[in-house]
Amino acid sequence: MTAGTPATDSASLAAGAHPADVPADAPAAVTAAPPGSGSANHLPRPPHGTLLQRARRFRAPAALAVLVLVAGLALALAANGRTGSLDPRAASPEGSKAVATLLGREGVDVRLVRTLDEAVASAAAGDTLLVAQPDLLVEEQARRMAEVPASLVLVEPGQGFLDVVAPSVLEAGQSFDSARDPACPFPTAERAGRAELPGRVYSVRPDSATAATGCYPDASAAGDAVALVRLEPASGARSTTVLGSSRPLTNAGLDEEGNAALALGLLGEHERLVWYLPSPDDVPPGARRALRDLLPDGVEFGAVQIALAVVLAALWRGRRLGPVVPEPLPVVVPAAETVEGRARLYRRAHAADRAADALRTAAAGRLASGLGLPRRAAPPDVVEAVARATGRSPAEVGALLYGPPPGDDAALVRLASDLDRLETEARRT
Amino acid sequence: MALTGRTPLLALLGALVVGLAAPSWAGVLLVTLAVLVLAAVDAALAGAVRPLELHRAGDTSVRLGEQARVDVLVTNPGRRRVHGLLRDAWPPSAGAASQRHRLQVAAGDRARVSTLLRPTRRGDRHAYRVTVRSVGPLGLAARQRSRQLPWTLRALPPFASRRHLPAKLAQLREIEGRAAVMVRGQGTEFDSLREYVPGDDVRSIDWRATARRSEVTVRTWRPERDRRVLLVLDTGRTSAGRVGDAPRLDACMDAALLLAALAARGGDRVDLLAYDRRVRARVEGAPAPALLASLVDAMAPLEAELVETDLAGMAATVLARGGRRSLVVLLTGLEATPVEEGLLPVLGRLLHRHTVLVAAVSDPRVAELADARGDAATVYAAASAERARAERARLVELLRRRGVEVVDALPDELAPALADRYLALKAAGRL
Repeated sequence: MTAGTPATDSASLAAGAHPADVPADAPAAVTAAPPGSGSANHLPRPPHGTLLQRARRFRAPAALAVLVLVAGLALALAANGRTGSLDPRAASPEGSKAVATLLGREGVDVRLVRTLDEAVASAAAGDTLLVAQPDLLVEEQARRMAEVPASLVLVEPGQGFLDVVAPSVLEAGQSFDSARDPACPFPTAERAGRAELPGRVYSVRPDSATAATGCYPDASAAGDAVALVRLEPASGARSTTVLGSSRPLTNAGLDEEGNAALALGLLGEHERLVWYLPSPDDVPPGARRALRDLLPDGVEFGAVQIALAVVLAALWRGRRLGPVVPEPLPVVVPAAETVEGRARLYRRAHAADRAADALRTAAAGRLASGLGLPRRAAPPDVVEAVARATGRSPAEVGALLYGPPPGDDAALVRLASDLDRLETEARRT
Repeated sequence: MALTGRTPLLALLGALVVGLAAPSWAGVLLVTLAVLVLAAVDAALAGAVRPLELHRAGDTSVRLGEQARVDVLVTNPGRRRVHGLLRDAWPPSAGAASQRHRLQVAAGDRARVSTLLRPTRRGDRHAYRVTVRSVGPLGLAARQRSRQLPWTLRALPPFASRRHLPAKLAQLREIEGRAAVMVRGQGTEFDSLREYVPGDDVRSIDWRATARRSEVTVRTWRPERDRRVLLVLDTGRTSAGRVGDAPRLDACMDAALLLAALAARGGDRVDLLAYDRRVRARVEGAPAPALLASLVDAMAPLEAELVETDLAGMAATVLARGGRRSLVVLLTGLEATPVEEGLLPVLGRLLHRHTVLVAAVSDPRVAELADARGDAATVYAAASAERARAERARLVELLRRRGVEVVDALPDELAPALADRYLALKAAGRL
């Protein structure tokens, strides 16, 4: 039944009718009563299944959204295995735990730093500073890096970084040609021999002032593209090594060809190695840029325009076709409400005696009229007649019909079923 | 003024223009202004709503459960076509199949819009408002206006017990036919004299007439006709209680209608009085052919009020009518307090002038509760239900002893039970 004013007992029925306003357009009180329900039905009923139908309409988009979510999760989980790239603590294929361990065994003091400040502070003259992912550094950081007194080993640097730190080296593209020979007079490379170096290749500016050695030339590309450039200033200051491939440093690539010797040679040149693995959030405040700065203006103003379109859509949907219709609803009072209310009162008061009295009187009345006695026959007559009909002893029947009231609820329930059994027996005969 | 879905869509397309061609505040302003100006022009070009002439036609009453049709006639005296939507708003209980209609009226033309209604509740249903939305030629914006256009549809009581009528009428004819000769005594009246045929009761031979004529003549008798029946509906709080899905009042009306149909055929005059603390409806002296229609019409808007019925006042109203002895049928809920305090004190005077029959709707839920067993809660409920039944039985006994006829039946069985009791009274000549 639909809402109204349920009254709990007869006393509150005198309270007067309460008309309730129901919007005609609201889905809760709509008009579509099932046909043929008119004779018995007196209230509008909410239609069945509109919510379900509405949910069904969004099934396809919801499925799509779930699919995208699941695919994204799967990709994220799959990509998770590629973490720890060039991290000396990582044992994953891309990690560098192996080479770091080997260096440690060789007596090199390997120290991992994550920020530029730490790197600059800890790399003194006579140390080696490995910059694992130099492209993560912005120009301002690269400039600080250029002033570090330690020898630099740069792994796969891009042109932007090279322009600042090693302006004489030019990036010359990518090479997937793997194993190659050193073909140069750089002793470390010569010792290592053939090495597996897929990745970037570089060339040396011809007008360069510093002495540059290019090793591991790319056989497939003509010209002077090399995978390793060693810069040794004539003044005897720090050297700079540009390594075009991270392969020799990774756990996976360490054992290929002469990769291990090359890596150990390059990194183990000095007693101390500062392993700088730039972390993405270590960016100077001036270089920080919000997502908004990266978006083109068109996106921003387009979004403003979309917001205006949404406002217009709200106006479109918000305008109702005529006002809401009020409906005076009848009051719904079940006729048996007083009976049920009295039952609850009995129960709360544990009035087993009164309840038993009512049940016994009713049962005795039914038994009496069933056995041809007047409904209000005297107890002894009823007891005698019932005892004769059922074959039970008069004392037992008397105790059941006119005995002492039951003490608690359980006794009352037992009494009710005993009375039922007695009536069934009496009816059977 | 109202927008359609095309306006936000246009603004959304404008987002492309802004994003690709003019990414600036000026671009946003320009595009939005263009959209708004277009919408405003469109609304200005839409057919005018205010001068539309609206009229209603259609059904004014319908039996509950059946379908009615109410039309709105739209005349467009303007110079432009009106095209859009019309909503004929009715309250939910009017059971409108669809309130929104497409509207298409050319200039100077007229159109008819029909709303199908299937009321879900007895009583008067009032039309609320008529709203017209006239969409412009571009379909971007619309003019809208609501107007009062009164109409009332009366949902009449369903008279579901109609199906019992043929059987009861057959019983009525049987009583009349049998009574023609065989039954004689109180409650019958002299009809005519006719020739004796073997088998006639010798006691009905009219010796004086036989002496005047040469053949043996008998008197014939027929059951009394042109008695009066007064149906009294109690519209107080006891009638508001719901038995099953419907209030007691509806079951009472159903029984009253069957009795009225039967009594009208039996040649009796039927009047109706609905009372709680004052007279709520009254039908008196309706001619037999129009009786049912006027009863149904009087009952349709009645709702049970949440007040205690003034049975003493009701009895006084019945007595104040004066006139001949009638059968007073009181349709009520039969509850102890109102009966003992209101009815019993005045019952003597009422019985002195009239025959009184109390018809009460009992609740199957009480029997259901009384038979339930299980845990303590259901046994307490059973005890409470037994007490209620005992109370009711005591009341019925009390009324019977005072000489009141009592019919206490479940809602579905009340109408035939009441009709049977009427036939029994008629056969016994106690009307």
